[in-house]
Amino acid sequence: MRNKLLALTACLLASTASYAADPGVSDTEIKIGDVNIMTGPASFIGRAVAVGSKIAAAEINEAGGVNGRKITIVTEDDGYIPARSFQALTKLIEVDEIFALNGTSGTANVLAMMPLIEENNLPTVVTTAPNELVYDPVRPSVFTIGGSYSDAFYGQLKYIHENLEPENPVYGLIRQDDDFGGAIEHGYERAIEEFGVKDGLRVRFKKGTANFAAEVAQMKQAGVNVLANGGIIAGAANILGEARKLSMDMQVASVWSEDMPPSVNLSAPAGYDYLVADYVALNGPDYDRFMEKARKYASEEEVAAINRYTLVTYVGLSALAEAMKQCGQELTRDCTIEKLRGLKNFDTQGVAAPISFDNEQQLSGTALAIYQLNAADKSFKRLTDFTDY
Amino acid sequence: MRTGHFKEATGQLVALSDSRVVWFFVALLLAACVAAPFLLGNYQVTLMVSALIAVIGAVGLNMLTGTTGLISLGQAGFLAVGAYTNAILMMDYGWPVWLSLPAGGLVAALISILVGVPSLRLKGLYLAITTLAFAFIINHIILYAEPLTHGPNGIFVSGAKVLGVDLQRGKALYYLTLGTTVLVVLAALNIQRSRVGRAWMAIRDHDIAARVMGVDLVRYKLLAFMVSSFIVGIAGGLISLQIRFVNIDVFALILSIEALAIIILGGLGSIAGAVLGALFLSFLPEVIRLFFETFADSSSNFYTSYVYEIRGIAYGVVIVAFLRLKPEGLIGLWRDIRKYWSNWPLAY
Amino acid sequence: MDFLLLLISTGLVSGAAYGLIAMGFALIFKSTGVVNFAQGELVMLTAYISFTIYSTFELSFFPLMLVTIPISMLIGLVLERVFIRPMLGEPVFAIVMVTVGLAVILRGITIMIWGPDPFNFTAGLSTNVVYLGSIPFYPAQLYLIAALGVMTLLGWAFLRFTRMGIAMRAVAANETAALLVGISVSRIHAVAWMLSAAIASVAGVLFAANYKLAPDLWFQGLKSFPAVILGGMDSVIGSAMAGLIIGVIENLFQGYIGQGLREISGFIVIIIVLMVRPYGLFGSKDIERV
Repeated sequence: MRNKLLALTACLLASTASYAADPGVSDTEIKIGDVNIMTGPASFIGRAVAVGSKIAAAEINEAGGVNGRKITIVTEDDGYIPARSFQALTKLIEVDEIFALNGTSGTANVLAMMPLIEENNLPTVVTTAPNELVYDPVRPSVFTIGGSYSDAFYGQLKYIHENLEPENPVYGLIRQDDDFGGAIEHGYERAIEEFGVKDGLRVRFKKGTANFAAEVAQMKQAGVNVLANGGIIAGAANILGEARKLSMDMQVASVWSEDMPPSVNLSAPAGYDYLVADYVALNGPDYDRFMEKARKYASEEEVAAINRYTLVTYVGLSALAEAMKQCGQELTRDCTIEKLRGLKNFDTQGVAAPISFDNEQQLSGTALAIYQLNAADKSFKRLTDFTDY
Repeated sequence: MRTGHFKEATGQLVALSDSRVVWFFVALLLAACVAAPFLLGNYQVTLMVSALIAVIGAVGLNMLTGTTGLISLGQAGFLAVGAYTNAILMMDYGWPVWLSLPAGGLVAALISILVGVPSLRLKGLYLAITTLAFAFIINHIILYAEPLTHGPNGIFVSGAKVLGVDLQRGKALYYLTLGTTVLVVLAALNIQRSRVGRAWMAIRDHDIAARVMGVDLVRYKLLAFMVSSFIVGIAGGLISLQIRFVNIDVFALILSIEALAIIILGGLGSIAGAVLGALFLSFLPEVIRLFFETFADSSSNFYTSYVYEIRGIAYGVVIVAFLRLKPEGLIGLWRDIRKYWSNWPLAY
Repeated sequence: MDFLLLLISTGLVSGAAYGLIAMGFALIFKSTGVVNFAQGELVMLTAYISFTIYSTFELSFFPLMLVTIPISMLIGLVLERVFIRPMLGEPVFAIVMVTVGLAVILRGITIMIWGPDPFNFTAGLSTNVVYLGSIPFYPAQLYLIAALGVMTLLGWAFLRFTRMGIAMRAVAANETAALLVGISVSRIHAVAWMLSAAIASVAGVLFAANYKLAPDLWFQGLKSFPAVILGGMDSVIGSAMAGLIIGVIENLFQGYIGQGLREISGFIVIIIVLMVRPYGLFGSKDIERV
């Protein structure tokens, strides 16, 4: 009922009001908002996102902007706290009067902003938290880029099952006890059922845990030799470190945060050549071309902060700009949303799989490439192309 | 010149205020609060709502910590209980908001009995950390009791309507919060000047002496926990209405420490202090932001890379500097101003 | 059997970290009556400083600590002088609040200087596995347990035999009386902060060597509260013991019950213990006269 009402109001607005009715657009400028983690231990995400927005905006503006209008990014910090994300977005909408949102912090944070996004019919591209909770149920103005954690783990386990073929495989899962961990367990469960392999052990841990000795000892006891490692950054590294201590021989599937250089630096000493599934390119000529662009538009310090979140944000803003461009001079939120919905095979220049939002979930870029770490020289080898699972 | 202030009947001692001037200014303040949403922008109104919710929570905590002397670091837990109860009853059981909101308070109060039991034996920091332990445990239960709480997925809260008015938006939410705040402050003031409030203060000042005078420690300590948690639970419910989404991350444990910061900065034991402290700490980040936007050179490279961290540090510096200058908190500052005003031109 | 031994051995490692952090809390609480909410941040800051020293001069473990500890003591002294000393004689609550503010400042400064990315910090220790019987250890794990033993012994000897240690106990017992017999209470406070910072640096470096160096290290301060309480707030030796107990209990809970119970098992234990012994296992009973 409410959706219908919304649609009706939207139609009415579209038919009566001129394009000036939507905030954030002037003759020379379009304001795009970004709510992100700029403080605290997780601020490496927010910083990388800010650089991605900056590169995309600079590139678009240099090419003449969106039909002559320059893109301006307004960033607000939420410190990874959902209540503050809500306040930050309120500020962006009411005070800065943004036109659209590209940069939405973590899953709980984007969910806390969801009522505001729907209420304001704010065109939103979610790139850093492609969680099922974000696109199911689908919100009319929200577009998601990225494979799910569930697919990422399913894909990696499938690769291990089919290509690495460990002897007498016993699978094990270690994951956080929140929404993020839950998504990983979905993928894990799917793999277990589909391959009919032995499910050795599943353990949950609390966010921020540092000591995984007991969990890994449990894994050892259960004889696990294929590990779905749901730890992130230091956590993942500590899990692998403990496993090495117990001389466990195993194949490891990891979260995509583990392809960032700082994570690799922490995890590589354990010596496991773990897998990672990611929806952006981590190396290759396309990646090099992107880095060249980055060095052109961003300062040295900013280039140092680049990681996978930079690339996904870059893709998100480029897709958003493309939709806005298609609207021509009469830029409105409704038009942008409609054009986003119609976006098909938008070329990301190889940074990610092409973007198409013309599906029910308004979800794209779900194709994941699988990479394997070479722990000795800390480099990644690409094992598969972008594939949908 | 005034020579002093004489009270001639016991009734005057417990009156909320016998000064017409005070009543006049309170009425003026209330009128300003009522008019505020018509004068301010939407963002400011949102900030006001958050600040008022903080006021409610602080007044609740103050009853326990300020008045009864039982330090609690479990506020985040009670906020979560209130918010989740409200959200679950509204969304899963279809309760109307005017029932589910108080129910959130009641459930928080019931659970607080459990938390209150250790307080019968523990004091000071031992109690504080036991309550922190309960906050950890509540957090854990919410995450793992998936059938009831939806675990880590959280709950969207919508449709809080009374007589067709949506209570979760704009002015309606503001007036709901303002009304609750006024009720809570009035209730707190009235409890404090009643038999119960005096019993609590007796416990705070010396529990053994209080017991000798016939104050039932078990009863009054648990009562303090219940009343305080009821209020905090209501604040939690209001948070769930404002953000329209509850998730365990909304109630980070650091909130408990912030709550304590509010009442200490405001001035322990004083309701006006709790109100001032909550307003002060709610608006401080905003003031810092404005300050930096106005005075800092936003083009300097150093500043742009760390603007957000610098704001966080400034927040800490203001707290420390304030306590250095006024250890009695905001209420101490207020008393000084009042004294200066009424004694002028003399110093004392 | 091996499983149990493994759980206990690694429990002792994380317990040793809790114990060291808790000792730092206890030392300040004992002599100043203030719970230092910035203790976790102090642990983090000193670990980061040590990391910088390590990556600049590439020292091995003992020389590294020889440089880190004095610097940390200096930091402890500066923090005490700048933030705590001016509050002398003010209500305890106001001082506790100052440490909360200090914690916010230190967290921000750490990220400003070193950035949010975590580091691999070996502290000059080898990462080859060594076996004690059938139980494997990393050297850093053994060092952590040993450090707790050494610090406990030093702490005990300091409080028992040195002039300063006895003065510190006098201040803890009765500040006014201590003043009257000519002890400089303010100097004792400064020494408490310096020693606490020294212990924090040992805890920080070895924690980072075992569990990586990241800007969320401060959270270990809150996580050590069960050990602080179990040990009885004001008992330096008790905190060390309690840390080990909590560490082992956590691992046993996780190993045999699971379900993420590790993180709250410590808190469950202290609730039960405190119901029986309201002053923790080693805390001094506070006898009230009426």
